[in-house]
Amino acid sequence: MDLTRRKFLTLLGGSTAGAVLFQACGVPEAELLVEAPLEMPEDMVTGLDTWYATLCSECGNPEGIVVRVMEGRAKKVEGNVDYPINQGKHSARCEAALQGLYHPDRISAPLLRVGARGEGRWEEISWTDAIARMAHQLGQVQDKSSIVLATNPVGGHLGKVVERFASRMGIAHMPYETLDETNLRLSMERTYGLKAMPDFDIGGASYLLSFGADFLSTWGSPVRYARAYGQFRQGDRERGTHVHVEPRLSTTAANADEWVFVNPGWEGHVALAIANVIVERGLGDSSAAAALTGNGAVDLGRYAPERVADRSGVSAERIRRIADEFAGHPPALAIGGGSAGAHSNGLANLNAIYALNHLVGSAGKPGGVIPNPGPPFSDVPEAPARTSYADWRGLTGRMSRGEVSALLVRGANPVYGMPKVTGFEDALLGGRFNVPLIVSFASFMDDTTALADLVLPENHGLEDWGSDVPDPGPGYQAVGIRQPVVRPFFEGRGVHLGARSFADALMGIAQTMEVDLGLEGESFEDVLQAGARELFETGRGSVRANDFRAFWNGALQRGGWWDTTAAYSGPSLSPRQIASAPGEPSLGSGAFALVPYPSIGITDGRGAHLPWLQATQDPITTASWQTWVEINAKRAEEMDVREGDVIRLTASNGRSIEALAYPHPGISPDVVAVPMGQGHTGGGQYDKDRGANVMSLLDSLEDSETGALAWAATRVNIAKTGGWMRVPRFENTAPDLATDEDQHIIKLTAEDS
Amino acid sequence: MAGEKWGMVIDVDKCIGCQACVVACQAENNIPINTEDLYNQRRAVQWIRIERYWEGEFPDVKARFIPVLCQHCSDAPCEPVCPVFATYHNPEGLNVQVYNRCIGTRFCANNCPYHVRFFNFWEPSWPESLKNQLNPDVTVRSRGIMEKCTFCIQRIRRSTRDAKAEGRGVEDGARELNPACVNACPTDTLFFGDLNDPDSKVARMSAEETGEHGRGYHMLEELGTEPNVLYLKKVDKNAKEASHA
Ligand code: SF4
Ligand code: SF4
Repeated sequence: MDLTRRKFLTLLGGSTAGAVLFQACGVPEAELLVEAPLEMPEDMVTGLDTWYATLCSECGNPEGIVVRVMEGRAKKVEGNVDYPINQGKHSARCEAALQGLYHPDRISAPLLRVGARGEGRWEEISWTDAIARMAHQLGQVQDKSSIVLATNPVGGHLGKVVERFASRMGIAHMPYETLDETNLRLSMERTYGLKAMPDFDIGGASYLLSFGADFLSTWGSPVRYARAYGQFRQGDRERGTHVHVEPRLSTTAANADEWVFVNPGWEGHVALAIANVIVERGLGDSSAAAALTGNGAVDLGRYAPERVADRSGVSAERIRRIADEFAGHPPALAIGGGSAGAHSNGLANLNAIYALNHLVGSAGKPGGVIPNPGPPFSDVPEAPARTSYADWRGLTGRMSRGEVSALLVRGANPVYGMPKVTGFEDALLGGRFNVPLIVSFASFMDDTTALADLVLPENHGLEDWGSDVPDPGPGYQAVGIRQPVVRPFFEGRGVHLGARSFADALMGIAQTMEVDLGLEGESFEDVLQAGARELFETGRGSVRANDFRAFWNGALQRGGWWDTTAAYSGPSLSPRQIASAPGEPSLGSGAFALVPYPSIGITDGRGAHLPWLQATQDPITTASWQTWVEINAKRAEEMDVREGDVIRLTASNGRSIEALAYPHPGISPDVVAVPMGQGHTGGGQYDKDRGANVMSLLDSLEDSETGALAWAATRVNIAKTGGWMRVPRFENTAPDLATDEDQHIIKLTAEDS
Repeated sequence: MAGEKWGMVIDVDKCIGCQACVVACQAENNIPINTEDLYNQRRAVQWIRIERYWEGEFPDVKARFIPVLCQHCSDAPCEPVCPVFATYHNPEGLNVQVYNRCIGTRFCANNCPYHVRFFNFWEPSWPESLKNQLNPDVTVRSRGIMEKCTFCIQRIRRSTRDAKAEGRGVEDGARELNPACVNACPTDTLFFGDLNDPDSKVARMSAEETGEHGRGYHMLEELGTEPNVLYLKKVDKNAKEASHA
């Protein structure tokens, strides 16, 4: 029908027949005034808003954000255009910070356990009481090194306070990450001699070869990488080519021009096979080649494409072609991480991958690996301290021998992240000994906090002070500053209840215990200002002022300080001998390789309490709110598995989880993939007892050299349980769009315009 | 009468499927939480959504993403079917939904070929404390009301008013003017602006990309809805066919 309403009205307007018709129907002519003379309700604008710059607090690598505040309430998060890392862009996770701030399950006062551990019965106590109790208990411990402070890896000035607290108190600080980055960090050191993560110049590369790292979704600094990826695709330069090597079709793999399936654990072999081809054909830098192999000490011949093809699952021909392309399209960039580094040979895999940049001359060059300078502060570490899974296994042993007198946790959830076979939870709670005191600094209940004796609620990131030295940085010195954009939400509960800044709580505890932390001032804000004074005194960078007040205000307004001219000035990234060539990965046993992956919204579980992130659909499956098992559609058919069938995955260590089958055509028949982040035993209305925790069934496998958790090395058997549940997914929520033969929703072209 | 004609350009070659736009839209426009139940009832509301299409099978397989939102059709099939003029075309080229006129016949949703209209089957609800986040510039739609993408009309209004108060115009591509999804998108897949202003980014892109060598196309072009959203084709050097659905 080509008679639209507007055409219809036009016709009416021009003919008397129309008037007659309408009179007959009794519709007053005024009704034809579709455009109201007054503003429509949706045209109204009320109130004034203010946007404050601060840092996001939802992921490990904070983006600079601006928060819209109206009448004292935060309303919206957007990227800070000035901030060097994300330049105005942000992720779904940044948006959800608001839900953390106003979350119905936020803890609003210190809690003292009254029932048995884990029973969930608490009593509110005052901060004074809480700190006094804690100081008393810690004070009684003879050997202070038996007290363990477990945090997320903390940088910036919070990192400084935490380090100072640990060292002056004489207690052990153990940073914890669910997916530990030990291998990646060590690989940067071994391959390029860098302590801090370098920047990857994706936007400036012509050819991008990535292994395992899902950098468009959760790996590294995803917003920065995604921003650069837009440039890489349709920027000022010729469209780049991207090849991604991974056992699973991840978001990054889906976006690549070519996805190369590799058997889990063989990524380093493929990388060295590529190196072998480049060296053999003399395509790369010959002096780099000599250095990498230590003049032949490392025998690349062992990694000839034919010898690698079978076990890696990548054909020799394909390896040769990719090697040709990689060497033939400068600047070319190789990136590795994620599952590629999560094997018993993980470090060696990453070393092999990153060595490729030396071969094609991209180390330290635009379009390649750009090293970052150290921080502009005298006493803030270059990169946050980290520990490996092996350290945590060691701690578990110490706990079960009764050698740990107190565990203080903050931003870390080891009860959730440690594989069950390690026995962390048992060692914490029971057995012959247990840990006498567990204190959690937390805004929300989680698996570890639920077992605590004392819970000290933390300010939300949007109510707190802080700083961040981005790691990875943007290639020059940069500092992000976090400021409170709203007054604390629990302010109304008075000074004795409510939440506090973690740093202030630590400083308070030290003061009560009469330990001098040697920090500048009484509060965390003072420490931060003292840091800012250091920046002010450099007299360079993005904020300049005649006096410190003006400088401080300027830095808060812009969300930080950076100096684009202060680039890396250390030794050049010259090629060095590949430290250890990858051997065979040791894998668990079972019919399927298990590839766990961080979810795009709730990541490794830290965002599971936020409903927006729970509802964020997974890009590949479009599923949400649950734990599902990606399984090859054909293989599923053979096994009579349908979408929503409840599947039990059992590892050879005997642990199992149950999750919903999601068959699709994009996964290898030998692999099952399961998103991380669900299956919390402690939490609130949005996360507790929802889905399954894939980390819990992992084998206790670790990198043979570094002790990093080999989280991609477990294999599983699967069986139907007979149960069925609908997979909450968005796909097919709307019926298929009306299409005929020639009507396609996504149109393709082979030619770039 | 305003001289603007708001439009969008979406470069499918850049979209990575990251969902930043989707959540940004939910935050800006007071969209109720899409709970597990709503997903299971197939009643999740996403004014902008990312569709994922499969092509081929392992190992020769592609998953491709495309953002879909109201196309603000110049010849909108959703409009003539509304018995109460709750959905109409405003002078700035926007397809607008007047919530307090809507009586919930759902004819418009039925007639929209893009399936971008969402009906409030339930009264929207939030835990009390989460209501602090709601955007005061946007009405919360009650049960029985149809809703859909507005191109963040509240931002257009606010930025125009602010600009007027300061005696300036609203710049093309200004952050305060852009819909929330456009600002969020990390890859710069989405562009928004005035198609009537020949110097605007969207107008220039439209002119360039609809030419002979351009990548521009309209979704479901043959329906003649004349969308104001222009898509740019995804580039795939190995495309087996020219296109797919
Ligand atoms: S896309 Fe659908 S809702 Fe939007 S204007 Fe067109 S027909 Fe109406
Ligand atoms: S934010 Fe941009 S890249 Fe991400 S899904 Fe939306 S349109 Fe695509």
